[in-house]
Amino acid sequence: MNFILLLLIDLTQWKPENVFGSQVLERTPSGLSIIYIIGLGILIGFLVITFFDNFRRHKFVFESELPVEIRRRLTQTVANRSLRIWHVFFVTIAFTVFGFQVYWTYFADEANEQFQALNYKDLRNRRANAASLRGWMLDRSGNLSSALAYYKLDKNGDVIRGFALEREMAHLLGTERGTPGLERTLYRKQTDPMPESWEVLTKIKKPQDEQKDVRITIDRDLQAFLAKQLEGKKGAIVVLNPQNGDLLGMYSNPSYSLDEAQTLENYLKLEGNKRDKPLLNRATREFYASGSTFKTFTMISAFRANKQNVLFPSYPGGFKPTSGSRPIVDSTQNLAADGSVSGVCDGGCQEKNITLSYKVSSNQYFAQLAIELGRERLRETAQLVGIAAVDSPEDALVQRFFPMIWNTSNPNIASALAPQQSSMVTGKDISLYDLGIQGMGQGYAGQMTPFQMALIASIPANIEGKLMKIRIEADQPPQTFSQVLSPQQAASIRGIMSTVTEESGGTGTVISAILAGTGIKTGGKTGTAEKLAPEYDAAGKLKTIKKRRKDVNGEWEDYFVPQMYERTDSWFITIAPIELPLLAIAVVVEGGGYGSRTAAPIAANVILKARDLGLLGDQYKTKTPTTPMTRKKKVVR
Amino acid sequence: MKNRTSSHFFILVLIVLVTAIAHYSVYYGALIRGYETSGITAGRNLLLLCLLAFLPILLKRFVKFEGNWTLYTTAILLFSIGLTVQYRLFSDPEYTSRRDKAEARQQKLKVLQMHYIQENYSAEKKQIMGLPATPPSPVDLSSETPRPAPEGYWDVYLSGKTINPILGILGLIAAFILLRRDNILELLQKNGFLIVLLTLGPLFIAAIWSSGGKFGGNLTPWELAKIPFLIGFAAILAVLYKNLARTYWGVPRAKDALPLIFMAVLPFLPFFVLKDFGQMMVFSSVYATLYLIAIRRFSQRFVLVGSVLLVVSILVVGALPEKTQEKIPLLPTLASPVKTILPDRIQQRFHLWLDGFNPPAPETSWWKQDYDNYYKRLVERDPNLPQMLAEDPNLQRTINIDAWFDELAFQPAQATFGLASGGTTGRGLGLGYPELIPVADSDYIFAALAEELGLFGGLLVTFALIVFVSAGVRTARDSRDMFSKLCSIGLASFIGFQALVNIGGITRALPMTGITLPFVSHGGFSLITSFIMLGMLMAFSHRNSVDRRNDELQISSLNLR
Repeated sequence: MNFILLLLIDLTQWKPENVFGSQVLERTPSGLSIIYIIGLGILIGFLVITFFDNFRRHKFVFESELPVEIRRRLTQTVANRSLRIWHVFFVTIAFTVFGFQVYWTYFADEANEQFQALNYKDLRNRRANAASLRGWMLDRSGNLSSALAYYKLDKNGDVIRGFALEREMAHLLGTERGTPGLERTLYRKQTDPMPESWEVLTKIKKPQDEQKDVRITIDRDLQAFLAKQLEGKKGAIVVLNPQNGDLLGMYSNPSYSLDEAQTLENYLKLEGNKRDKPLLNRATREFYASGSTFKTFTMISAFRANKQNVLFPSYPGGFKPTSGSRPIVDSTQNLAADGSVSGVCDGGCQEKNITLSYKVSSNQYFAQLAIELGRERLRETAQLVGIAAVDSPEDALVQRFFPMIWNTSNPNIASALAPQQSSMVTGKDISLYDLGIQGMGQGYAGQMTPFQMALIASIPANIEGKLMKIRIEADQPPQTFSQVLSPQQAASIRGIMSTVTEESGGTGTVISAILAGTGIKTGGKTGTAEKLAPEYDAAGKLKTIKKRRKDVNGEWEDYFVPQMYERTDSWFITIAPIELPLLAIAVVVEGGGYGSRTAAPIAANVILKARDLGLLGDQYKTKTPTTPMTRKKKVVR
Repeated sequence: MKNRTSSHFFILVLIVLVTAIAHYSVYYGALIRGYETSGITAGRNLLLLCLLAFLPILLKRFVKFEGNWTLYTTAILLFSIGLTVQYRLFSDPEYTSRRDKAEARQQKLKVLQMHYIQENYSAEKKQIMGLPATPPSPVDLSSETPRPAPEGYWDVYLSGKTINPILGILGLIAAFILLRRDNILELLQKNGFLIVLLTLGPLFIAAIWSSGGKFGGNLTPWELAKIPFLIGFAAILAVLYKNLARTYWGVPRAKDALPLIFMAVLPFLPFFVLKDFGQMMVFSSVYATLYLIAIRRFSQRFVLVGSVLLVVSILVVGALPEKTQEKIPLLPTLASPVKTILPDRIQQRFHLWLDGFNPPAPETSWWKQDYDNYYKRLVERDPNLPQMLAEDPNLQRTINIDAWFDELAFQPAQATFGLASGGTTGRGLGLGYPELIPVADSDYIFAALAEELGLFGGLLVTFALIVFVSAGVRTARDSRDMFSKLCSIGLASFIGFQALVNIGGITRALPMTGITLPFVSHGGFSLITSFIMLGMLMAFSHRNSVDRRNDELQISSLNLR
C-alpha cells in the first residue's frame, strides 16, 4: 500500500531545473554549482575533523604522571621541530598564493592600470556581448519596419546585423574596427553581461522586454537623398533642425559599405586609399577653408558688438590694413603679382552697409569689419559658436575634438561623433592683415568643418538666437549650447541672409529659382575657397615632383614632394523656411567651383525633399508630390 | 569521525554524490549553449569515483590497512574536482575540436542569440525577422535539438582518460603493498645511490629523444623519475645527517658533504636538458625541505637558506622589467651581466611573470623570432604593410601588442582574465568561458576552475591541499626512523610544492612553468606518479600505526605486571 502512495510523488518536480525555476535557464547550473561548492566545503570540513581526531597522539598510561614540561617534550626531536616550522611555512605560502587570486578577483580591476587597459583583449567580453544582441536603430518615424539597423537571419539561419542605409550611413554607424560610431556606442548595454552564479540566482529576471532600441533623429529618406545628391562628387552635407538641434541628415562622399569593412584586408585597403579617403567623415573630421560663408560668423560678431550699422568703403586699389601690407581685394578684383589691382569692387566702390556687403559678399567690407571688431570680440563669439580661438598659428595645428556640442545620453556617443574642432587665431602676434582676411573666411580661419558651418548657420536660424546642442537620440530633451544672439538680432540676420537668395543681385539666387512656386523663402550664403591639395593620377597614386638638394655630406640627392594643385571648393549654407527655419544646411563640394553653381542647387534639392517628407511643417506639404525623384520606400529585409 | 574506514567510506560516497550534482550542472549548462555532454563520460567518471570509494573497504579487508585515511580521501576529493572540470572542458565541442573550432563557436553563439530573441523580442520584431510571432517567453530546452555528443562506449572506456586513473590506482595499491614491508624499505635505503644511477640512464635517453619538453607525442615519462630521485636523496641524507653535524672549523668533512651535493645535483641535469624549469623548481624546494629537516646545526641551515635567497634574488633582479630596474640606481648595471647569462626561456618566463601585460620590444632576443613570424604572416595577408609601417612608426607598436597577446602571452593573459572574471562564487559550471584558454585541462586547470567556481573554488583546492600536506607532515612526525621521515615529508612536499608552483604560476605569484596540478590536472604519467606517491605515503602511515600498536601492546603488557 505504501509503495503505491510513493508512486504518487511527482518525480519531475524534483528535477533541478524545476527546483530552481526554468524561467531563467542559467539558474539551474548556477544553483547546482553553489550546492557543489557548499558540498565540497562541508566534506573538507569533515576531513579537517578526521585529521585532528586521528592525529591526536595516543597517550601512554605512565605519561599522565609525568610533569607537564617533560610530557610536552616527550616526542620532540630536532627533526620534528623543523617539520612543524616547515608546516607553518607551507601553509603561509599556500595562503599567499591564494591571496594573489583574491587580488586578481577583487582589486586588479581598480588597482592595475595595465590590466584595465587590456580589457579589450579579453575574449570573454566579446563572447558575452555577442550573445546578448544590440538594440535596433530606428529612424525618426520610430517604425520597426523602417529600422536603420536591425537583425536578420541569413541563409544558414545565423543571426546577422543588417543595415537599411549601409553605405549612406557608414560614417555615422562606424565600423567594428577603428574609431567607434553609433553602432558601438548608441545602445544601452546589458547591466552585467557576465554575472556570477549567486547573482544569477538572486538578481536576474527573465523574460523581460529589454528596451535597447533607440530612435534617432536621422530621417531615413532624407539621408538616402543626401547620398544621391553627392553621387560622383567629393564633399559633405549636414542638415540640422536649428530649433531643437536634431541632426536630420549627415553624409560624406566617398563613403564605403560596412559589409566591405568587415574583413581586415578590405579595411586596410579602405584605409590605404589616400586619394578618396573613404573612411574619413568629411562632415565632421575634415577641415576646409570655408570662404565667404564665414562672413556669417563675422556678421554675428558684429551684431553681438552692436556694430551692425557701421559703414565701410571699398577701395578700387584694395583695402590695406597697414600701410605696407598686401591689399585685400574683392572676388571681382584681381591682384597681380606686383601688387597692382584691376577690376571693380563687388557692389561698387562706395561706402556700403552690412546688408549690401553680405548680399554681394564684399571681402573688403568684412575685412574692415573684423579689424574694427578686434581680436577680443571675435574670440568671444568664436567660443560661443564652438570654434577654438587660439593664440598662435602653431596652436591651431593641435588636433582638438569637440564632443561638448552633442546632446547625448551617454558620453561615448558624443566622443564617437565628436567633430574635429574648427579653429581660428585671435592672438596678439598676428597682423591686422591676418585678422582682416579671417573676417572674410580666409587665412587662419581656413580650418572649418562642414558641421561647424551648419552650426553657424543654425544660430540666426534659431528663433531665440541660441546655438542648440545637436542631438542624435530623438528622445533626448533639447539642450542649449550657448545664447549667442538676442531674438531681435537673430531676426535681423535672417533678413540679411534672405537677401542673398531672394533679392536679385544676391549671390545665391539660383536657390530661389529652383524653389519657385513652392512658397518657401530661404536665406543663405555662398562660398568659394581655394585649397592646395595633393594631386593623384588615375591609378590613385600620389603624383610627385622630383627635386634635388644637398644632403649632410654635401652630395646632391633626389627627393620627392607631392605635386599640389589649387582646388576650388564650393560652399553653401542655407536656412529654410525663413520665417521659422526648420532646416540649417551646410553643403561643401570639393573642387566644385563657385558656390552658387554646385553647392547651392544641392541645398535647394534638399529643401524640396525635406518639404516632401514633411520636415518643413504642414503648411508647405504638397498634395501631389512634385519631387524630382520618386520616393522609393525601401523595405527591410 | 574517527579514523574508521566506514566514516571515510561515507565521505567518499558523498564525494560521488556532489560530483554527480556538478556533472548535471555541466550537462545543463551545455544544453543552454546548444550541445549535449556525453552521458557515457559522466557515467565513466562516477564509476571511477565509486571504485575509488570502495577501495578503502578492499584495502582494509585484504591488506589490513591501519594508516590514516585522511591522506587518501583528500587526494580523491582533489581528483573528483579535477574530473568535474575536465568533464566541463572536454565536453565542449569548441575546446576539443581541432579543425572546426570556429564552426562550433558560431553554433554556440547562434543558440544563445536565438534564446535571447525568444526571451526578449516582441512579437512584431520576431515577425519582421521571419520567426514565429510570439511574445517574449521563456525558452523551453526540451523542445530543442542540441548538438549530440560524439563519443561511443569504446572510445570512452579505452581512452587515456579512463586508463590512466586505473593505472594510477593499480600503482597506488602496488606502492602500498611493497613499501609497507620492512625488507623492501631496507633494500631501498641501502641502495639509494644505485637507484638514482639506474634512473638516470633511461631518463637521459628520453631527454635526448624528446622534443619541446614532450616525449613520443604528449607524454612526460620522466615524471616517474621523481620517486627514485627522492628515495635516493632521502637515503643518503638519512645516513649522512649525523656526520654532517661533526664539523671542523665549521665545515663538515668532504667525505660527508660531497656525496650529498652530488646526489642533490644529479636530478637537475636531465631536467635542465629537458628545459623543464618547473620540475627544477619543485625539486630544489623539496631537496631544501629535506635538508633543512635533517640538518641539526643552525649555521648549516643558514648557509642553504642564504644561498637560495641569493640565487633567487639574483635571478629576479636580472629578469626584472627594464622600467622597474631604471627606477633603482645602479640596478641596470648590476643586472646586465645576469641578463646575458640567463637562458632565453627563463627570461621569457620571468617577463611573463613580472611584466606580462607589457609586450617586450620586438628586438628582444627571446621575442624577436615569434614577432618576426607573426609579422610575416601579416605581410602575407597584406603586402602593403611594410610600406605603411615605414610611414607610420606607431603601427609597429600596435602590431607588437597584438603579436604579444596572440602568441606568447595569449594563454597566461586569457587565464588571468578568466581568474578575474570568476568573482566570489564563479560563473557557475558550464556558464563560463574556460574553453578560451588553450590546453586548460592540464597546466591551466586552476584557471578554468577559478573561472567557474570562483574564489571559493580556489579556496577549496587550497584547503584540500593544506589538509593533504598536513596529513603528510603528521605522517613524517610519527615516523620512527630518519629515512621514512624524510621520505614521507619528501612525498608530501613534492605534491604540495608542485601544486603551489602550478597555482602560483596561474595567479602570477610565481613564474609560470609547465607542470601540472597533482590529482586535478588531466595527465598521464603525472597522474600515475601522484597516485603512486599517495600509495607510498599511505604505506608509511600504515607502518607508523603498526609500530604504535606494537608499542601499546608492549606497554600494556608492562602495565599488567
